Amino acid sequence: MPRRIVVVGGGAAGIGAAGAAKLADPDAEVRVYTEFEDVGYSPCGIPFVHGKEIPTFEQLFLATKQTYVDSGIDVRYETRVDALDLAAKTVRIAGGERVPFDTLVVATGFHYEDPGIPGSDLDGLHYVKNIRRAMEWDPILDEAKVAVVVEASPIGLEMTTALAHRGLETHLVDPRPWALADVADPDIMQPVEESWIELGVKLHWNTGVEAFVGEGGSVRAVKTSAGELPADIVVVCTHKRPENRIAREAGLKVGTTGGLIVDERMATSAPDVFAAGDCVELPHNVTRVPVQGLSGSHAYAQGKVAGTSAAGGQRVYEAVNVPWGMVAGKWMIGGVSFGETTATALGIPFVMGVADGISRARYYPDVKKVRVKLLAEPGSLRLLGAQMVGGEGIKERADFLAMCVKRGVTLADLAYMENVYSPAIGALNEPIALAAQKGLAAATTGG
Amino acid sequence: MPFFEWVRRNSEEYLLEAAQRDMARKYLQRPAPAGRRGPLAFLWRRVFTPLYRLIPWGVRRAIIQAMPGSHRRRWVGRAPPGRSA
Repeated sequence: MPRRIVVVGGGAAGIGAAGAAKLADPDAEVRVYTEFEDVGYSPCGIPFVHGKEIPTFEQLFLATKQTYVDSGIDVRYETRVDALDLAAKTVRIAGGERVPFDTLVVATGFHYEDPGIPGSDLDGLHYVKNIRRAMEWDPILDEAKVAVVVEASPIGLEMTTALAHRGLETHLVDPRPWALADVADPDIMQPVEESWIELGVKLHWNTGVEAFVGEGGSVRAVKTSAGELPADIVVVCTHKRPENRIAREAGLKVGTTGGLIVDERMATSAPDVFAAGDCVELPHNVTRVPVQGLSGSHAYAQGKVAGTSAAGGQRVYEAVNVPWGMVAGKWMIGGVSFGETTATALGIPFVMGVADGISRARYYPDVKKVRVKLLAEPGSLRLLGAQMVGGEGIKERADFLAMCVKRGVTLADLAYMENVYSPAIGALNEPIALAAQKGLAAATTGG
Repeated sequence: MPFFEWVRRNSEEYLLEAAQRDMARKYLQRPAPAGRRGPLAFLWRRVFTPLYRLIPWGVRRAIIQAMPGSHRRRWVGRAPPGRSA
């Protein structure tokens, strides 16, 4: 009898799990349940369609429904799983049907934190998550004049930039003193802020959102601690929280982040039950503090491990170093592990080196600034983390530095690293090396 | 919300708030975030955060590692700062 593998959730983790399970055990019956109309698209691309950088939502689809049929993966669309019975090894579909499984992958994703303020049920509040809702909402942007983005989270940064590109008067409201303040450092974000101001964005820092004000059931303003902002549309970009209701009710153990506890095989606390994506928590490789709510590439890779494990294969995921990067305003920002703000919050000792370099030869057209900030462990000088802002080459540096953190590379290694010099693509002095030299100097002087 | 989740959520919020206050002053000359108000917020801000900052990193790390979570299960990776692999 073929192995019955049920996957709950059709996002990056769920689809990654289904594909890997089928690869590991081609005879397995792999069934995916999703409450949405589609799978196999890039939700991360939605802000770029709103911003008109990408012409159509259709371009975000990576595979057709027939692709999954041809792969032998049975996707059940618009079908919600409302309970897991781990003792009976069944999932209960909304409506009552019970579906048996031999192994289960929970990939239920995330939900945006409820702002918990009056007016949260008004029409006109938009949450960036589902492509069909984004398709329905997008034409409204042609008519709207004023947009308010609530919270400068990663998706908040992308939507702020997108709405400004779209020509709307865009307000960004956040209770913290700068954008992405829970992740990025203020000196890294300052060029981004300046570029938003150039794009006409109105920034409201240290400003709490107190209520959404409605008229006729639709939002017409946002009441903040600094006054009321009229709004034709509001985009709510609060923290992503793990969507774990059915997993909690089934008794799966949850960690301090609210994410499901898993091991390197993505095995949960229950036998034959695996989990992946935004609904789990993982240890940070440097601090060993559990983290949750990472990128789509993390979710997809975890899904691959969970699916392989569910199909009886051997594959492990590693503690995460969290390379990240994105476009915000006219800049690219990125990093790995953590920056000065997080290190200060946790109280992790560090030495730091910061350097401003360039992306190409100084005389070459379109040369861009690149700021690199490196944090290292005092004494050993092993790299702990990095943050960057620049006009280009941020993603590649973040990937490289993630490998450096993983392998315990030191500031001394980086300070005199070999680097590519070619006027059109790289400067004589690599900004990473310059920052490492500054860090070495700081370590020597105790600065 | 389970106890350890509540501890993590609040400690993270107030430790980040304190760090953001320091960083805003250092880099931006901006005021500190207002944050929540009330007796519980007062305790987290005025008692927990200064106490946490007084404890050496090694002790803090041990407390963090003792909390339940994925980090206590089997994982490949390097040792935390201040401890050799």
